Amino acid sequence: MIVPLALLVVLLCVVLAGWAAWFVVRDRAVVLRQLWGGAVIETVLVVQAVVAAVIAATDPPEGLSGGLFWGYVVTQAIVLPFAAAWAFAERTRWSSVVLLVAALTVAFLEYRLLQIWGTV
Amino acid sequence: MTAQHRATGTGPGRLLVAVYGILALAATARGVYQVATKLDEAPVAYLLSVASGVVYAVATVALATDRRRLAWITVGIETVGVLVVGTLSLVDVGEFPDETVWSGFGQGYGYVPLVLPFLGLWWLWSTGRTRADDRAPGATDHLG
Repeated sequence: MIVPLALLVVLLCVVLAGWAAWFVVRDRAVVLRQLWGGAVIETVLVVQAVVAAVIAATDPPEGLSGGLFWGYVVTQAIVLPFAAAWAFAERTRWSSVVLLVAALTVAFLEYRLLQIWGTV
Repeated sequence: MTAQHRATGTGPGRLLVAVYGILALAATARGVYQVATKLDEAPVAYLLSVASGVVYAVATVALATDRRRLAWITVGIETVGVLVVGTLSLVDVGEFPDETVWSGFGQGYGYVPLVLPFLGLWWLWSTGRTRADDRAPGATDHLG
């Protein structure tokens, strides 16, 4: 896996989480622009999956457990869309807490992905 | 009965459902992976993984859609599950290697599986009380 790409995912997740945390403090619900932020992260995740697939097909890291890796890839991709839809339907500050937790979850799953890949 | 309950999927319940959903996803994905790749190594633990994932998923849907009875049952199963399996995993390492969400009282998941069911039970209890208690006719909100 490409480390810069993974760092980008984590960075974007932290930014989105920070944005959501700010909204929690301000007692505001999730706004559409934050969902666009989530969409940007999803796009990077898709790019990352394609890159990982190419590397796995040509020069896979030693001892990579493919099933485990792709299980995490799919799981990670599912979290934000569901959380975003669920958060957006709630119009209180709790909506922002949901987005905050979801963004941190995706960042944590990215760390697990790097572990499984053997980078860290 | 015209008792009005707060819907379980609103307000703080929004977060509860979200965390339940993430745990359902984590437990189910892990269980399916384990059963698909190495079922013969520890069948009890791996089938339990899938079962716990399914229970979390049902609890998530029940809490999200305000199906209180189903939510009570599934959250209750989780409470018993994490306590029983957590205890067994400490005693009998052979049958329960550290491979389910409930092993070691959910330590592999930051003890979220241990805390969550109790939060769920409390939330179901607290939203189940009639709102007449705190919203009596004539009572004014936020006085002073």
